[in-house]
Amino acid sequence: MTYTQQLYYVLPLFVVVGGASLLLLFEAFAGEGSRRWLMGLAVVTCAAALLATWLVWRRVSDFEEVYLFDRMLVADKFSLFLTMVFLAGTLLTVLLGTDFLREHDSLYGEFFGLLLLTTSGMIILAMAADLVSVFLGIETMSVGAYVLTGAFRRHRRATEAAMKYFVAGAFATGFLLYGIALVYGTTGTTQLADIAKLASANTPPLFVIGQFMLIVALGFKVAAVPFHMWAPDAYEGAPTPVTGYMAAAIKAAGMAAILRVFYTGFGGDVLPYGPLGWATILSILSVLTMTVGNIAALRQENIKRMLAYSSIAHAGYILIGVVAAGLTPASGVARSAVLYYLLAYTFTTIGAFGVVAWIGRRNDERQMVDDWAGLAARHPAAALAMTVFLLSLGGIPPTGGFFGKFYVFRAAMDVDGQIWLVIAGVLNSVVSVYYYLRVVMAMYFRDPAREPRPLASAPMTAALAICAVAVLLMGLLPSSWLGLATSSTVLAAP
Amino acid sequence: MTDLLLPTVLFLPLVGALFLMLVPAREEGMLRGTAFAVSLATFLVSLGLVFGFDADKAGFQFVTDKRWVDSIGARFKIGVDGISVWLVLLTTFLTPIVLLSAWRSIEKKVKEFVITFLILETGMLGAFVAIDLFLFYIAWEVMLIPMYFIIGVWGGDRRVYASIKFVLYTMVGSLLMLVAIFYLYVKYGQALKAAGLPEESTFDLEAMWRLQLPHTDQIWCFLAFSLAFAIKVPVFPLHTWLPDAHVEAPTSGSVILAGVLLKFGVYGFLRFAIPLFPYATQTLGPYMFILGMVGVVYGALMSYAQDDIKKLIAYSSVSHLGFCVMGAFALNPAGMQGAIYAALSHGFTTSGLFLAVGVLYDRRHTRRIVDYGGITSEMPFFSAMFLICTLGSVGLPALSGFVGEFLTLIGSYVGGRDFADYMATPQLYTVVATSGVILSAVYLLTLFQKVMLGPLKNPKNKGLPDLSPREKAVFLPIVLGIFVLGVAPMPFLKPMAKPVDALLQSYRTKLAAPDALQIVGGAPKKPEPKAAAPEGTPE
Repeated sequence: MTYTQQLYYVLPLFVVVGGASLLLLFEAFAGEGSRRWLMGLAVVTCAAALLATWLVWRRVSDFEEVYLFDRMLVADKFSLFLTMVFLAGTLLTVLLGTDFLREHDSLYGEFFGLLLLTTSGMIILAMAADLVSVFLGIETMSVGAYVLTGAFRRHRRATEAAMKYFVAGAFATGFLLYGIALVYGTTGTTQLADIAKLASANTPPLFVIGQFMLIVALGFKVAAVPFHMWAPDAYEGAPTPVTGYMAAAIKAAGMAAILRVFYTGFGGDVLPYGPLGWATILSILSVLTMTVGNIAALRQENIKRMLAYSSIAHAGYILIGVVAAGLTPASGVARSAVLYYLLAYTFTTIGAFGVVAWIGRRNDERQMVDDWAGLAARHPAAALAMTVFLLSLGGIPPTGGFFGKFYVFRAAMDVDGQIWLVIAGVLNSVVSVYYYLRVVMAMYFRDPAREPRPLASAPMTAALAICAVAVLLMGLLPSSWLGLATSSTVLAAP
Repeated sequence: MTDLLLPTVLFLPLVGALFLMLVPAREEGMLRGTAFAVSLATFLVSLGLVFGFDADKAGFQFVTDKRWVDSIGARFKIGVDGISVWLVLLTTFLTPIVLLSAWRSIEKKVKEFVITFLILETGMLGAFVAIDLFLFYIAWEVMLIPMYFIIGVWGGDRRVYASIKFVLYTMVGSLLMLVAIFYLYVKYGQALKAAGLPEESTFDLEAMWRLQLPHTDQIWCFLAFSLAFAIKVPVFPLHTWLPDAHVEAPTSGSVILAGVLLKFGVYGFLRFAIPLFPYATQTLGPYMFILGMVGVVYGALMSYAQDDIKKLIAYSSVSHLGFCVMGAFALNPAGMQGAIYAALSHGFTTSGLFLAVGVLYDRRHTRRIVDYGGITSEMPFFSAMFLICTLGSVGLPALSGFVGEFLTLIGSYVGGRDFADYMATPQLYTVVATSGVILSAVYLLTLFQKVMLGPLKNPKNKGLPDLSPREKAVFLPIVLGIFVLGVAPMPFLKPMAKPVDALLQSYRTKLAAPDALQIVGGAPKKPEPKAAAPEGTPE
């Protein structure tokens, strides 16, 4: 394939990066008044990128892997599916974020540019076929995310959050590089598809240490316990729509990286197993992550912080699917379960944070559970949407979140000896239902303490409606969506 | 035509709820009227199930089987047999009555109330008619959320506490049941593969009944299923959510909770836990039996100690459903049929009692026994209704409670006679449980006496209006039902006989099968039995 032909497969990436550059350029010339226009451009960019992804999707057949640029990137349905998830998340974040930032007097054109650049990093990550492109993707994504976290640049809380995220993130990057170096040093390759072949015959200690370092680095990116310390503060300090974006899209990208690196790079019949195998370690991390996230969320009075902890817990559920994927390399069940979960989770989480953004005003953010009392009486549609999101997060039918959990648990059930993960996940779900329903109770069962004064701008409302409908559709008609995820499960086998 | 009967019954309330969403909230009369009409229509259509039912068949009738979630082999498969048809009828019967009873007592958020109730009806019906484990689970969860809202939005002072307690208790049970459902699904797939059958694994209950799990697996799965059902029944000591939920729920919620939702526990044991896990039933069944007995006596004693009428009736449910659990785990036809019959009868009598409390509460806004006394002189018609429900619940012969309790006690006394090592002395436990019958007379008749008889001590009770025509229309069908169930039990028992016999038959067959993963009696969709597993005993 010539270079020009290869470019076709990275069309979505070009559209996103091109749009981001244009947005940054226009910002230099645009005045105060024309920023809404920038939102339009960002929306068009996302829509065009979605269209481009769809075009590539049609050209790639179900179990085909198209290697690009000297095997640095790979275009397959796995990456394209995730690209669509990221782009949908970005689109919703643009719709939610613009008016929110304007309300808080922090809307700058860089917001759109950075958001799209962050997304381009995620796309690279989903397409990564080499440890070097994994690194590139993660860095592109993270640098954008650090700045977005501090978008309220005049607030001390936001600056602190961004600083914390940046310092801890830079530390994790060190681990990532060190891990890559050790793996490269012991196997002589950074190609993900070759690592397993070269390493499974004998695994020198340095290789194992390299693997641990990669677990630390990627565990940090998805906020898995015990590498989650940055997450609650960063999530709370970031503007709420950005928090939703971080909790959903960035986490999804981190999971994509984990699947690429570990499933493809460290997969096979040897490396995931045994006490030092990554699947074993990730299974322990997953139980820790769910449990710590849920227990911490139980005590939160601030809904945004509660959702931040709940998103930590959800990383734990997703890791169950990742572990199952590693232990059943031949079957696509676990991989499609993870993809389905990520899709449902993206709509749910962005929606939930979106309602939190929708309800507050500048200097009157209404983030406490008590502030939501009686919301259903005044704004029934918003309360209903939030209920749908919370039920989906809790894994109660008929929502997408239920089927996401269902598929992930079923995948783990297929693996011998991993039923304890399912039981841990199920018990955690019960715990989580308690704090999700506390919000529902406040909205429906109590009388309003103060008259709600929501921000309620039209693009935000539209984004929330899209999320709610998507979550319900995924719960009522899961088959077609799962079919999409199943056809996307091709991942370079080890 | 008959193909569409069951889906119509199932979805009519849901369609009604969707329609009502379009009606403006201020049109309260129209909302109430439409909801009542829809639920009444559902009841009338469901009568077709009863009249069209063939009592000589053991299997499911009115079966609808459609593709649903293909990727996991879950199907939209519904049908009724001689057990579930009565529970379906009970549900469709009680819903219009409850909506009628709530005409005046629910005044806020009427639109939300009637919509929630109709969705709840579809959820309950779905759980009774599902013959696919996955569909059953979905319906089981779907009915949880409306009930949560009914308690939480329209409930009493401690409604927030009661509603979350109700949800958490139920969720713990149901999620572990979900794990067991997964496990069955995976094992069924393995068993099919081991038997060399080409089919994919499914959640089809009829297929799953033939799966024999190894004994240890059976124990764990039985525990997971039984926890869900035991919480629903509720079996002592998992009953503590029930008094809270009943007391805080509005009258309509209490009626549905006691009348229908508690029946899911008994139904679940008979439909799922016992036939799916015979070995575990044999091993653990005696303990369930004993817990049932404890519930009978404990519920009765607790009931006697209450000074709140609603709480008293709530605890009486614990006692009455203890009989059902004993009957189910007696593992003989009399006991099992008695369990279903007692559950049906409880649906009528306890609903009547809760409605009676609702009538008193609407007039006086208190539920304490000491605030009443001598009401008979003011409300003679109500007094008669209340008395019949009380006596029906006590188990007076010729009223509904008698037949069910008599059958369960006979069944329990005989015990698992066919199964030598099942239980040593069921007679002893039965004698203890029989005291529950006497105790129920003590607490319920004392209640009636203190509330209705004697002099009119409290001047506030002077001149209370007797039942309005609407309230009479609520009570008369229930009282009629109590008489019919008491006088003519045979039309109800006859359809139950075949399914119960088939259940016990498959229980014995699977119990005799060796301790290994296999499919007993050949795969379901295979026409020729030679492809069956080694133990194949084709039906």
